[in-house]
Amino acid sequence: MSTLTVENLTKEYGDVTALDDVSFEIEDEFVVLLGESGAGKSTMLRCINGLTEPTSGGIYLDGDPLEESQPSIGMIFQQHNLVDGVSAYLNALTGSLERTGFLSSVFQWQDRADKLRALEALQTVGLLDEAHQRVSQMSGGQQQRVGIARALVQDPDLLLADEPVASLDPASAETVMGYLRKAAGVHEVTALVSLHQVNIAAHFGDRFIGLRDGQLLFDVGQGELTPSLIDDLYGSVETVGLAEQNSGDGSGDRTEPHAEWRVEA
Amino acid sequence: MSSGSPSDSRSLRKYFGFDDAGGSAVDRKLTELKRRKTIRRLWTVLGVVVGGIVFYQSLLTTEFTLGQLFTQFPFFIDALAEYFPPTTYYGIPFIDVGQYWNFMQEAELFRASGVTVAIAFAGTVLGLPGALLFGILASERVVPYPFNFLFRATMSFIRAIPALVWALIFIPLGGVSPFTGVLAIMVDTTGYLGRLFTDELEEIADGPIEGVESTGASKPQVISFGMLSQVFRQFIAWIAFDLEHNVRVAISLGLIGAGGLGLELDIQRRTFNYTEMMACIILIVVLAGSVELASQRVRSYLRDDDEVEQTGILEALWTAPRKILESTAGRR
Repeated sequence: MSTLTVENLTKEYGDVTALDDVSFEIEDEFVVLLGESGAGKSTMLRCINGLTEPTSGGIYLDGDPLEESQPSIGMIFQQHNLVDGVSAYLNALTGSLERTGFLSSVFQWQDRADKLRALEALQTVGLLDEAHQRVSQMSGGQQQRVGIARALVQDPDLLLADEPVASLDPASAETVMGYLRKAAGVHEVTALVSLHQVNIAAHFGDRFIGLRDGQLLFDVGQGELTPSLIDDLYGSVETVGLAEQNSGDGSGDRTEPHAEWRVEA
Repeated sequence: MSSGSPSDSRSLRKYFGFDDAGGSAVDRKLTELKRRKTIRRLWTVLGVVVGGIVFYQSLLTTEFTLGQLFTQFPFFIDALAEYFPPTTYYGIPFIDVGQYWNFMQEAELFRASGVTVAIAFAGTVLGLPGALLFGILASERVVPYPFNFLFRATMSFIRAIPALVWALIFIPLGGVSPFTGVLAIMVDTTGYLGRLFTDELEEIADGPIEGVESTGASKPQVISFGMLSQVFRQFIAWIAFDLEHNVRVAISLGLIGAGGLGLELDIQRRTFNYTEMMACIILIVVLAGSVELASQRVRSYLRDDDEVEQTGILEALWTAPRKILESTAGRR
């Protein structure tokens, strides 16, 4: 149960304006951020997460301004950003660092509740049996699910994901998105996910925000993501049209997987 | 070669290229080339003469004579028989391994090996905190640019002085003893292992650091979980590598009196007990070789990639003497 408010957000890198006066508000939704590479999606997510400082404008979570990285925001990265050499469990457990003292965290003296939470998060993403495995021995899709688990252990109010499936094959991408959707549902958190694949976006999103050249192009709900909007966003790209067609084909049974997640939740 | 006649001296000057350059450009060039050749030959002769004088003086200084070699050679043959005492097993002539074994038992050489390993191990453990501290603080990701060089420079300074020289420097602190050996290896470890740690930290990825930062972790937590956890296994592998190096250093420190196998070898050398010397040398080679093999196995287990070279048992043994010397001379 949380509300993310972005007000007149602007970010400039030297002469380049990455984000230009963007405003929107999302509440308990699974929102997909769309746009070309360089449109400002990553900058947006990094600003919200506190990894990048905005030039001007405000970001609020439930009315409180967000200024630095904090556990109430869980971030999932395209390249997983896990520690390869240690187990999935320890990676998930790093999500609890902020509420653990330095020495306690070094000696793994986290609260039992946090340890259970780490395992539950791995269970949520279907990796409980693999919890002891080193991340470097896992597949790309599994690694990204560990990334989701780490974000969940933070007990966040908001989940951010920066192109979480960009480096995965289509089947793994769908699995990971399914788990991400499920995780957001189980933990009742708002999620903001940037994606390149329009068909995946249309399949999983509740709402769609389009960025072009750092500006807000559209902000539409489920079913309102039309081919013409996509054309506006990417220009007339043949393969995007094809993807749109496919997602159109799949739109008939779109409610079904949603219902499925609700049940699991 | 009768001089005096003007035509003779003329042709001689022409041969050496000091004739008046007359005629065409080609003639002048040929004369010039001849002159150059003459000058080059004069320098060569001078070089050989000077080299010969220095060589002769060196022989005088070191009292090296072929006569000495001839008169002493029978003694060397005798010594060889002591180095490798012959015996027969079931009628087959072979080296009398039993003599080595008896001396190893008698002089408690295995205990001396223990002392050598103890010097290396204690020195490594005592040097480890310093190596960790300096190694981490020298990384630009932990300490910002100009200040990390303070720690880098300290480690460079330590490495510039080989462990053997550190031991000599520390004699006033601990006397000529294993204690001084431990001190020397401790300092050497701080400089060398610390540098390996820093190098390893340079290669870590930014992603995991950012991942841990994004959870809201504190700076020390980001260093431990985002950075050190990436290189934890590599650090253990480097410690194993450094322990192996330190065993070799401890052997050579024994030669200047710091105890252990090296000291035993030195004592036997002074008393011309060749069989006993060879027993020490054999044990040194076996010790250094087996420590190297053990360290390699540990490292290849810890490292996912194939960075660790794998040597066979024989290779580890016969490269041991060279590696002992390399370790003694310090590295890089």
